[in-house]
Amino acid sequence: MTAPTQGLWALVLLVLTLAAFGAAGWRIARLYRLLRLGAAESRIDHPWRRLGDELLIYLGQRKLLKRPYRVRGVGHALIFWGFLAITWSSADMLLRGILGWRMPFTDTVWYAWLVDVFAVAVLAAVAVAWVRRAAFRPPRMHVVTEGYVILGLIGFLMLTLLLFESAAVATVRAELVELVLPPVTPPVAGLVAVVLPPGSAPAIFAGAWWAHIATVLAFAAWLPRTKHLHIVTTVFNVGLKKETPRGALRLIPDIENQESFGAATLRDFSWKDLLDSYTCTECGRCSDSCPALATGKPLDPQKIVLDIRGQLLREGPRLLADAKAETTPPAHWVQAKPEEVWACTTCAACVEACPVTIEHIDKIVDQRRYLALMEGAAPPEAQRAMTNIERAGNPWGEPRAARGDWAAGLGVPTIAEKPDAEYLYFVGCAGSYDRRNQRVARALVTILRAAGVSFAVLGVEETCNGDPARRMGNEYLWQLQARQNIETFDGHGVRKVITACPHCFNTIANEFPQLGGRYEVTHALPLVRRLIAERRITLRDGGHEVVAYHDPCYLGRHNGIYDEPREVLDALPGVERREIEPHHRERGFCCGAGGARMWMEEKIGQRVNYRRVEQLMQADPDATKVASGCPYCLIMLDEGVGAKGIAEQVQPVDVLELVAARLVETAPAQGG
Amino acid sequence: MKFLVCLKQVPDSTVRVKVGGDRRSIAAEGITWSISPYDEYAIELALERKDADASTVVSVVTVGPARSRDALRQALAMGCDDATLVTSEADLSALDVAKALAAVVNEAKPDVVLCGKQASDDDQGLVGPALAEALGWPHVGMLTKLVPGASGLELWREVEGGHEVWSAAPPVVALVHKSEKEPRYPSLPGIMKAKRKEIPEKDLASCGVTPGAPRPEVALMDLPPQRGQGKVWKLDGDAKGVAEQVAKALREEAKVV
Repeated sequence: MTAPTQGLWALVLLVLTLAAFGAAGWRIARLYRLLRLGAAESRIDHPWRRLGDELLIYLGQRKLLKRPYRVRGVGHALIFWGFLAITWSSADMLLRGILGWRMPFTDTVWYAWLVDVFAVAVLAAVAVAWVRRAAFRPPRMHVVTEGYVILGLIGFLMLTLLLFESAAVATVRAELVELVLPPVTPPVAGLVAVVLPPGSAPAIFAGAWWAHIATVLAFAAWLPRTKHLHIVTTVFNVGLKKETPRGALRLIPDIENQESFGAATLRDFSWKDLLDSYTCTECGRCSDSCPALATGKPLDPQKIVLDIRGQLLREGPRLLADAKAETTPPAHWVQAKPEEVWACTTCAACVEACPVTIEHIDKIVDQRRYLALMEGAAPPEAQRAMTNIERAGNPWGEPRAARGDWAAGLGVPTIAEKPDAEYLYFVGCAGSYDRRNQRVARALVTILRAAGVSFAVLGVEETCNGDPARRMGNEYLWQLQARQNIETFDGHGVRKVITACPHCFNTIANEFPQLGGRYEVTHALPLVRRLIAERRITLRDGGHEVVAYHDPCYLGRHNGIYDEPREVLDALPGVERREIEPHHRERGFCCGAGGARMWMEEKIGQRVNYRRVEQLMQADPDATKVASGCPYCLIMLDEGVGAKGIAEQVQPVDVLELVAARLVETAPAQGG
Repeated sequence: MKFLVCLKQVPDSTVRVKVGGDRRSIAAEGITWSISPYDEYAIELALERKDADASTVVSVVTVGPARSRDALRQALAMGCDDATLVTSEADLSALDVAKALAAVVNEAKPDVVLCGKQASDDDQGLVGPALAEALGWPHVGMLTKLVPGASGLELWREVEGGHEVWSAAPPVVALVHKSEKEPRYPSLPGIMKAKRKEIPEKDLASCGVTPGAPRPEVALMDLPPQRGQGKVWKLDGDAKGVAEQVAKALREEAKVV
């Protein structure tokens, strides 16, 4: 049917369209200018990966369809895909109404089917979303009237669409039947068409058509003023997301010649941080999964993002007008003080959960950078750890000279003694100094020897790689430590590195390249999995044990190593592996020690490691061991089961210890 | 108000000290040097006054070998305004150090001189009182807090089970036991600024000091003997039985009862 825009009506439509898009464009241009207040940052590396993300995350709604939001995610995906299908038809209506042109495919029967099916699906999803907000509001969700209005508008769009489609079907039914073989009329429109009063169809068509298109235009004009702007910004936010490893923090280049560090004001955040803030849909999934928030800390990742947006919209115009105008610190500094940013464990649960790829950790660490580097204002325990790293090369403040003591009597060669070793085993501070983790280091040595892997250690030449310093915001100290290690590695011609610590792994593999240190780095567990697969180690039955696996954040979410540790456990005769459901894999719950929280006191709320032990007991009350692959997790879980009085019942271990206990020493000790 | 903080560079507390070949001093190699902890508290107390009143000037001084310059840089990075190094490669007696410091104090004319109550390397605690004596100034020990008061300064001292508040009119020498806040971590701009600052150098002669004041000599330096491994017994039975076994072990094996 032709559009009801004869004569002057086409002009009316043209004026309305220009007005709506003009209003939207004006607002978007303003938002863009505000965005430019942010600091420069390049986001054009890895173009193919970016394209892939657009297809998978934007069009494919990948992150919305993840556990535990899968059902709700389907609802959103239906509305979104419906929006895409129906926007095509809205464009067609405008083109036809004004110029008489058509969008491709819009006159095909399959497209009519598509629109019809999506209209009903969207209607259903909108109804569910509405009822959920009104009656079963999830605690995480920040529900505002705007959300209801938007849902109402979408619903109204679908109803008017179905109505004018039906009217069209009723009007041209005879014609259609002749054109296309029956019974191929669009399903719903065909059904509704039957009940329309005869003769009223053309009037209903015109009325519903105009109501629909007017709503579309109103929506377009209003959209950039709502959180539903994310329909547009997500395209950019996904396409411009960080494509470097998630665990790598931003480098401050040429740090000795910079004058200000970190983020204290709007201008200090990068433009991408500001874009993130526009894109936030206030869905609260980040807050939902934050271990700090869950245990009563003053941190809420969603608030970190929304505070930036609030401040940008409030103060941005003044800053645009006057390039020298002072800005105030982020709003949450005024309310909760820097305690919020110090509470973060950088576990990336928020980053993982965010459907629109907002990068929370970088914003938090940038604020820590300001506090640590500009103000020297880290919590006192954190300062002590930094001083210890500076003076002793480890955050515990243990003697530098004692770094190799863990291996006393083992005869582990240093790389100076064995320069042709294939691997450097980077022991890390925990493996070197913490008594519990020294046992893990010794277990790894036993395994490597049994498999005949050629390796050596640095001994007293090793020093902290700076991970805790960097996560505390002390980028300068991190660079000093990292450079010192890179110099030592390169001095010995190191090419391959093994480490049993996910934090060392993340720093050496993902962050050392920022300073020119490029090595083939492996965490011990993927290596051990390979050694088992290649039958380089033989394992005997160690008796039946129920072992729950705890995902370390810097192994799992930051580096995607979920399967290998599980495969190692599954290869151990007698071990029955359990999951700490539902907090496992991508939804693993931090032990509380990441983000250098290991060296800060936890005075507010429940301790994160206690919560983790509770989750363990709830999911697997009959587990006798809880295994991880991280020294911090081991320390925190040990402390947690001790405090909960269940140390006799469930014993925290490193997966490596379970492997070492089952080794059959077939080959004479070699290597190492 | 002008503060002068006297500090000493000592082996960092994280260093595992080794005895030198002469068995009268520590082996110098592989040592990380830092500001003695009580001196760091003294710097923190002075800088807190500067935080409260920007017109406050905090100077630091040390008497020691050339490497001590690093300790002064650290103090500058923390926020001190200027530093003076009195170079002496030789190991000086406390009285000679005090005399050299007195010369610097007389030149700089601070209102308050702060010292750590003792250096963490030799733990003698002599320089501060000797400096007060050399200057003829009053001296207050065990300082934990310093605030402006009606008649000059309120000096909080830690005493057994509580604290005393003394008041003093400058000039005064005070020996610091602790600060309420941990010594601050330098900001990065502070570190960079400290790197560029000039540190004027003096020698003992220009302070009018001829070393040679009486001093004790170290006769022998030794590490504590290595402690043996502990022993773990798994004891079963009722309390009486266990107690009997423990008593037997204490008597026969440990020979302590």
